Amino acid sequence: MTTATGRPGQKTETGSSNWTTRLRNWIVGLVPPGEALPDRQPIYVASWIYVFGVLTLAALAIVIGSGCVLAIGGSAWWHTSSLGRYVNSVHLWSVELLFGFMVIHLWGKFWMAAWRGGRSMTWMTGVVLFVISIGTSFTGFLSQSNFDSQWIGSQGKDGLNSVGVGAWFNVLNPGQMLMWHIVLLPLVVVVVTVVHVVLVRRHGVVPPIDAEM
Amino acid sequence: MSGLSIAAEGAGRYISWGVIQISVANLTIIAVMVLLFLLALVIPFPTGHGSDDGGHDR
Amino acid sequence: MFMKTPDSHDFPTRPYDLVKEFVIALVVVLVLSVGLAAMFSSPDDPPITMKGWAQAAPNDVVATAVGELAGTTTSATYGPPYNNASEGQKLGPLPLQKWGGVQLPTDSTSLVLAPLSNVQNNPQLTAALSYWNAATPDQRTKWATDYADALGVPATEDAAATGAGGDPAKVAPGDYGPVPTLSSAFLAFAQSGGLEGALTSSGNFYGGDATRSLLLLADGAYFEDQARAKNLGGDQWGMMNEVGNAPGQPWMWLYTFWYQIPPFSKSDNADALVWGLMMLLTLLLVLVPFIPGLRSIPRWIPVHRLVWRDYYRRTKKA
Repeated sequence: MTTATGRPGQKTETGSSNWTTRLRNWIVGLVPPGEALPDRQPIYVASWIYVFGVLTLAALAIVIGSGCVLAIGGSAWWHTSSLGRYVNSVHLWSVELLFGFMVIHLWGKFWMAAWRGGRSMTWMTGVVLFVISIGTSFTGFLSQSNFDSQWIGSQGKDGLNSVGVGAWFNVLNPGQMLMWHIVLLPLVVVVVTVVHVVLVRRHGVVPPIDAEM
Repeated sequence: MSGLSIAAEGAGRYISWGVIQISVANLTIIAVMVLLFLLALVIPFPTGHGSDDGGHDR
Repeated sequence: MFMKTPDSHDFPTRPYDLVKEFVIALVVVLVLSVGLAAMFSSPDDPPITMKGWAQAAPNDVVATAVGELAGTTTSATYGPPYNNASEGQKLGPLPLQKWGGVQLPTDSTSLVLAPLSNVQNNPQLTAALSYWNAATPDQRTKWATDYADALGVPATEDAAATGAGGDPAKVAPGDYGPVPTLSSAFLAFAQSGGLEGALTSSGNFYGGDATRSLLLLADGAYFEDQARAKNLGGDQWGMMNEVGNAPGQPWMWLYTFWYQIPPFSKSDNADALVWGLMMLLTLLLVLVPFIPGLRSIPRWIPVHRLVWRDYYRRTKKA
């Protein structure tokens, strides 16, 4: 039997007009007590497929970390320094790993129909993360200040212009693309990742298909 | 390809089949991903002996 | 129909260390990243400079300059956001490109004339510029178009050479006004390195916006030739590829796939159509939980029986 003392969303003080109290209650109610960092998992969590979510998270951490090191040297550092070039390589390969693990995670979640039991937002935030990651990597390629940036920009502009948005998101403007890449998009990725992970902890790992209690 | 190479690179190795054309590098990545997925499904996951069916307390 | 999914918190549990799992994952990914980076590095093909272009393909620079003056280049005939020369692409009946408006107005002739008008101590060039500016638009177009025809293009696999085969030195005499002077001065300017940065942000010390430089570069044939030689062209699955043997963007496979097949491969609206299709497919992927049939595929093809085989075995026994 559950011994939960509170369910998600239930306030322990009702009708408080204190904003701090209400915010605290909302935060506390996001996840069932003890489920933010539980030290137990349901017994059906017993497959290697489950590690690809955490591998994706770890890869994101390395992507951001290597990106921060690149930022220390500046956007042209990797062209002129062999250390900079190496850090760029770490950034590239951690991105390849990020996408690799993310897609395997997506495959797993699809075949497990992990959206069941009120988990449709978890699925949707996951797909949104996938799409935003693609956009982030696109702005990354545009920030390389080399032949790739020139070519990808001049090709990418055709797609964006064809639907009328190319002037606001100008892929031929490296300054703009770099700032989207290192400020705006990582912020969105991190926020949506937090929402995604909180949802996983809130609902718990999805039970097996046709499991009965 | 390691080290500071300032020479521009041409095309790498590609495999063509009808309308499909893919680089060896990309094909390798996709093949490794599919393999990882299949392995993740079939390789047994270590579950501790005797600590299963434990209480579902908090 | 379907049974309601039980609450995951109602199931028996066993110890699990999430933090240790994350730390192990972090170490694994770090080791993989630094290892792969050390083994395979990352590509860095240098950008094409205007000077490099002018030295490698001088005739192409001249032909591009003439095309800008004649208003026949890709950028000159593009439409929004650069100009109104064309309506642009449509998604079915929706003229999305046109709706975007001319937000980055770019006069293609200025791509050539603006840098040239800053050149000092070249009386011949100054005279040619005055001659051009004093002429009517129709006269200018006629000079440039006639010169472009006379210049012609080199022979290719499929077609013989036209005009002077692209070689300015072999152009037949004719009335081309100041166009030959302007285009050869442009080439000389590019070869001297003066064109670098000349088009990024008007007269500003800190450039940064490479729009006009890239429009000019992409108007030439050399740029695309270089890209196609590296398998980066649109009809070469280029969106997925990287230069050399570097890993590319395998996740772009479906986006670039459509460009390889009809009707997209033959359509003037290919970009808009592919974008629209991919937006639709993405929306379907987001909404899988709500789409009957699609959301039942995991039930019909029971890959999950592998994932949860341990649990199914236990509960069958119990």
